[in-house]
Amino acid sequence: MSTPGDSDTRLAALQAELQSVKRREAEYRVKMIQEFLDRGERNSYLHVLREECAALIKREQEASADLEILTRKLEDAEARIASLTAELERARAPKSKWGAKPAEVPAPTAPVPGAPFTYYLHTSPFRVYRDSAFTLRGWAWPVDGRKVTAIRVDVDGRTYAGKLGLPEPEVVAHYGLQPENPQPGFEITIETPAGRHSFSLEAQLGGSEWRSIMRTTIWCEPRAK
Amino acid sequence: MTPGDAQQRWQTSRAPLGDRSAYKKVWELQSQDMDVAALAVAGHTDEATLELTARGTIDMLKSTVGVGANDVILEIGCGIGRVGLPLSKECLHWVGTDISSGMLRHAAERLKDRRNTTLVELSTVGLQEFPLDSFDLVYCTIVFMHLLEWDRYRYVEEAFRILRPGGRCYVDNFTVDTDTGWKIFMESYSYPIDRRPAHISMSSSREELRTYLTRAGFADVRVHDLANGLIAATGTKPPA
Repeated sequence: MSTPGDSDTRLAALQAELQSVKRREAEYRVKMIQEFLDRGERNSYLHVLREECAALIKREQEASADLEILTRKLEDAEARIASLTAELERARAPKSKWGAKPAEVPAPTAPVPGAPFTYYLHTSPFRVYRDSAFTLRGWAWPVDGRKVTAIRVDVDGRTYAGKLGLPEPEVVAHYGLQPENPQPGFEITIETPAGRHSFSLEAQLGGSEWRSIMRTTIWCEPRAK
Repeated sequence: MTPGDAQQRWQTSRAPLGDRSAYKKVWELQSQDMDVAALAVAGHTDEATLELTARGTIDMLKSTVGVGANDVILEIGCGIGRVGLPLSKECLHWVGTDISSGMLRHAAERLKDRRNTTLVELSTVGLQEFPLDSFDLVYCTIVFMHLLEWDRYRYVEEAFRILRPGGRCYVDNFTVDTDTGWKIFMESYSYPIDRRPAHISMSSSREELRTYLTRAGFADVRVHDLANGLIAATGTKPPA
């Protein structure tokens, strides 16, 4: 059986031990700080943050590249699905007593004919669209030098007219002036509802015909509210 | 060299108000010699008064956040080591930081016999020179009045980072709702508008200091009315 005296002694011993542990822990931290400073890591925290920031930018760039590759693959797959579906429809078509009736292939939406353009898009359309709208900015002119009279984006058949004739002095300085298109910059804002959509950037040449500059499919996935 | 000479040199060492954010430049200018440096950071030059006022600061630290024999302590803006010299005798290790290498040169001279002290020149506003979870107490006294608000908060945020869980933080400033604070305010008020110096003293409110500590993540945040007429805010870094 322990006496009050024993308890006091034990308590004092424990307190001394606790103080000793605290002191050793604090000495360890002093040593750590000193080593940190001695190693010349005076700005290591900033340095670490900068490195993390650079790594995040690199990851974002890699993710964008992956997304672009994926988008291309999806486009190819969609084209293949369309081709196989058409072939299947032809195979299922009823035959008349006079012989096989030619399969009725649904008339596709009149495609906008393509034309070679030199262009650059400042805001890349190859992305996952998180917001309800997206503004495409860039510049374009036809290789044959004809006048671009209007610009638009076609999303699933719905067109969005753009603003044309924005100055691009660096483009003109690099490629030289295209007399019919002295200010080749444009800006178009489109709505981006959830889901996959076809996306076609188109220019009107000489006030009449529309030509496609580039087309792709886009994936819109709004942020959860 | 008489104190009058030092006053004159201090007057001519002042940077204009537009340089307020250029702390290194402002305080290097005011650290040209020991007397000017002492006037700039403490308002007096004699060692006995420096020791007396430092004792007052240590008493305030003891009454608000406590000072332990095993504490590893960091001071933000230590200047010539006014507080560090006596405080280092009461703790395990004291680290003095300042943005001015000139101030630290004077501090090193004063602290040359104190082996448990370290002086570190800060490269810019913040405490990026130090690893996280390192200190038991981080304090900053008679410094906030010379900083812009964003930089005050930067130091509080950084103090939170480098304190170990359970570590304590102390910051102080003057406030206009006390007689002492009003007196300091009126001293600044008396400057001609085009001759306000970069280090001119600017007040804090109680809510400002409380908000900095709360936003930085400190627990048990308290604002104290100090015996010298200043106010201080203290907080504890919560357990990890």
